[in-house]
Amino acid sequence: MAHEVLMPQLGLTMEEGTVSSWIKHEGDAVKAGDVILEITTDKLTNEVVSEFDGTLLKIVAQEGEDIPVKGLLCYIGEPGEAVGGGAAAAAPAAPAAAPAAAPAAAPAAAPAPVAANGARLRISPLARKLAAKLGVDASKVAGTGPSGRIVAKDIEAAAAAGTAAPAAAAPAPAAKPAPKPESGNLQEGDTVVKLVGMRKVVAERMLASHTEIPPVTQNIKVDVTELMAFRKMLLETTGKKYSVNDLILKATAKCLRAHPEMLVSWDGTQIIQRAHVNLGMAVALDAGLIVPVIRDADKMSLDALSEAAKDLATRAKENKLGADEYKGSTFTVSNLGMFGIETFTPIINQPDAAILGVCAIEDELALKDGEVVVRKVMRLSCTLDHRLLDGAVVAKFEMDLRDLLQSPMSILL
Amino acid sequence: MAKAKKTEEYSKEFLLGLYRTMVRIRSFEEHAAECFTKGMLAGNIHLSIGQEAAAAGAFAAMKPQDFFTSTHRGHGHAIARGGDPKLCMAELFGKKTGYCKGKGGSMHIADMAKMNHLGANGIVGAGQCISAGSALASKIMGDDSVTIGCFGDGSTNEGSFHESLNMAATWKLPMVWFIENNCYGVSTEIHRVTNTPDIATRAAAYNVEYAVVDGTDPVAVYETMTKALDHARSGKGPFVVEAKVYRYQGHYCGDPAVYRPAEYMENALKNDAIEKLGKKLKALGVKDAELDKIKDEAKAEMDEAVKFADESPYPDPSEVTEDMYTADNERCVAR
Amino acid sequence: MSKKLSVSKAIREGLHEEMLRDDKMFIMGEDMAVMGNVFAITTGFLDEFGPNRVIDTPISEEGFMGMAVGAAMRGMHPCVELMYDDFVTECADPLFNQAAKLKYMSGGQCSIPLVLRMPMGSGRRNAGQHSQSLEGMVCHFPGLKVVAPCTAEDAKGLIKAALRDPDPVVVMEHKLLYARKEDVPDGEYITPIGEAKVRREGKDLTIISWSREVNFSMEAAETLAQEGIDVEVLDLRTLVPVDWEAIRKSVSKTHNVIIVSEEVKRGSYAGELSAEIGEELFDELDAPVERVCGLNIVSPFSPVLEDQNFPHPADIVKAVKRVLNK
Repeated sequence: MAHEVLMPQLGLTMEEGTVSSWIKHEGDAVKAGDVILEITTDKLTNEVVSEFDGTLLKIVAQEGEDIPVKGLLCYIGEPGEAVGGGAAAAAPAAPAAAPAAAPAAAPAAAPAPVAANGARLRISPLARKLAAKLGVDASKVAGTGPSGRIVAKDIEAAAAAGTAAPAAAAPAPAAKPAPKPESGNLQEGDTVVKLVGMRKVVAERMLASHTEIPPVTQNIKVDVTELMAFRKMLLETTGKKYSVNDLILKATAKCLRAHPEMLVSWDGTQIIQRAHVNLGMAVALDAGLIVPVIRDADKMSLDALSEAAKDLATRAKENKLGADEYKGSTFTVSNLGMFGIETFTPIINQPDAAILGVCAIEDELALKDGEVVVRKVMRLSCTLDHRLLDGAVVAKFEMDLRDLLQSPMSILL
Repeated sequence: MAKAKKTEEYSKEFLLGLYRTMVRIRSFEEHAAECFTKGMLAGNIHLSIGQEAAAAGAFAAMKPQDFFTSTHRGHGHAIARGGDPKLCMAELFGKKTGYCKGKGGSMHIADMAKMNHLGANGIVGAGQCISAGSALASKIMGDDSVTIGCFGDGSTNEGSFHESLNMAATWKLPMVWFIENNCYGVSTEIHRVTNTPDIATRAAAYNVEYAVVDGTDPVAVYETMTKALDHARSGKGPFVVEAKVYRYQGHYCGDPAVYRPAEYMENALKNDAIEKLGKKLKALGVKDAELDKIKDEAKAEMDEAVKFADESPYPDPSEVTEDMYTADNERCVAR
Repeated sequence: MSKKLSVSKAIREGLHEEMLRDDKMFIMGEDMAVMGNVFAITTGFLDEFGPNRVIDTPISEEGFMGMAVGAAMRGMHPCVELMYDDFVTECADPLFNQAAKLKYMSGGQCSIPLVLRMPMGSGRRNAGQHSQSLEGMVCHFPGLKVVAPCTAEDAKGLIKAALRDPDPVVVMEHKLLYARKEDVPDGEYITPIGEAKVRREGKDLTIISWSREVNFSMEAAETLAQEGIDVEVLDLRTLVPVDWEAIRKSVSKTHNVIIVSEEVKRGSYAGELSAEIGEELFDELDAPVERVCGLNIVSPFSPVLEDQNFPHPADIVKAVKRVLNK
């Protein structure tokens, strides 16, 4: 019997991965440690490495397919060896391995396992309607209809047994997926790229955030002449080169600690007050965008903060972030200053209640004691979730942050 | 051919009446053609220019209680029977005010209530059976109406011709068939596909009386049809009349009729029925001005018909499911 | 009170009562008068009603069907018989292009109150040109109403309703039902056009059927009941206008449907019903709608072959079990 290669679990919250490309092909010889395929999960691209020596006998999961964790990807074995349950077995989806959290729901032993987690369910229209009504997770129900189709009585049985009710058991209808925009006709030279991995996640989350949140973006101007001088002084006195971003992160973390009202989350019906200042830091990648998180940033020295930021950004760009390193932010900073952006309207990284956009530093003429002088100024664009925060509240935070940045010594005090 | 009484033996009023009918038919058809050419009409129209004398003569012989069926080339029949050109034209325009509320169009003018018009028909030969059926109804009910089935030469090669003529003959139904033979079924000359010189002779096969008449002479047609109708009305069974006519246009409006030899139209114009009757009327002392007045009046009438049709409203889209059934309409249509 | 009558006698009684009631009605068709019909449906009518109202026609289906249309336009109520529904192709134009359409095309100026009776169906070993079930073809044409009774009671009630209907009604009579003796109520009654009837109540699955296959469906339902499967049998009786409310009600109760008819499966009226149920009752369905129909073949002559062609009770039982996965 050939070895099965399954979708690995990468990070606690991973539920499925997308096969992005096969490095080895059917018939290729494979050694343990060889990379056989690449997958994208959530926000990462990962390589799947063979644990076995042999030949790649059969690719089950095709490029672009979403496969649940522990779902079957391919078989490796000796040439001619049977794959799956027998020579004839070559079910394209529906892994034989039971999905992670699928307890047998139907009281009677089900004749055939039903596709779970992502694969298309065989379910009758009536059963689907009934499942929604009774709050039964149909993907965890075994079907007893023809060809293993889930029929109404399977759902009724599951509801009676209470086994397959979803954890949250929220009777509220699931958010409807937004209608797909008209794709428009392809024109000469256009190419089509399948939405996979990170781009897909970014697309989904940004859309969700944009459509769910009533946003307000407030811009404030900060005179950073002193901050730039301070940074120069730090270089001269300590020999360490801190980026403007490091100083802004430090100032933001400190200011947030003084403004806990900014650290809240919307939970559908209630508000969660966050205890930690976990700063998300937007990092632009070729394939999209990722927001690694600096935990308890308010408790870090400038040195430690700078190190953490640098480390996370580097590893993000190398696709080496752990799955848990980009989760759990309570506030996010997105810096487009290095690109010369004057102001923008950042989209909130849920579950945060606000996001701070950092813009470019520019020379501006100002009047000082009747004299025209050149000042360095920068704008901060803060988007707030108006369900949770009001303009005046955030304005106070922005003013304090501005003041802090305008008298930079106090950032460190 | 049946021999006509001398034209001079008819009253001037009667002859002027035939003349007026012919002029009105031609004017209607010319107006319809103009509207079609201007793109005011949807679909297709089939004109009876050149066949006016046949219609005028035949319908002059009919009695009010008589019924008739018509064909795709049927505008002239409706006008000759006294139909309202406004309602005819509105039907051609697909307007709500048309005879069939815009649901039938040019090929389907019908008026059960006033004209006893059982309908023009888009299926070649369909009117043969329907006219025979109407005659059967008259026989069963014992009324004194005759049903006239009007159709062309082309339809006499349909099975329905033979099936229904056989039954009508056997059961002695009060039916007259009036065949306008213009020699062409669309593009096909009748003698290329039919073996007898005349069509009406086929009636002999069913022991039915028949006559062949010059369809450009309205008086001759009138006389022959009068005889045929008397025959049918008196319980002697059906009668078949064949009128030889010319179809000036192609099959449909816009068909250049390149399949026809030049002589066809030369003969047609030489025998133009309106011209011929006009000359006879003048010989009887009718002045040019009087004939011109008839033409002017017809033109004004048809101008008015076009205006009426053009200005009439289209049916409301919601009417699309109306008139499908008489009973239980909604469920029949919805499902 | 009721009496036992064969289906053909029930039809005869219906026609007879309407002939007495309605002097606009006349009967027309091949061998209807002197012979009194090959199934003895009009025996004695010629003597009673005379040759004007009971008419033997030549073998000219297009001709007499078209004449019936003309007579109906004049206010008569013709009742035409086609000896076999297979011959509908012989009179396709007057039925489909004229009878069905003239009311609409004339803007509602006339009704066509004619009735076309056509014996249909398999099982008499009559081969491919005398055994067809052409419901799909007839039901296609808007303007026609179509009924297909199964019981003697409905055969009489529906022919009477058809004769009183102002629209053209096609009555499809299964030849193999003619000899069945069943209860027929005494006295005057009609079976309304457009009303289906639940022949047997059940909760697990609905069999929708009409004509002779209703009897087969009932047999199948009894067999299934012994195995604990509770089937509802819905006899449509009228195909156009179909009793959608009855279908909706039954399907919403049982959530599983099979449609049983003798038609060639491809392009059948059963297929039309299946599609409608799929469109409109999708969320009520617990399984795909299955059609149990004839094969896509010419009806064969040899009894051994013909029996393969149309659904028998055992085929219905099998289909029900397949749908319910039992």
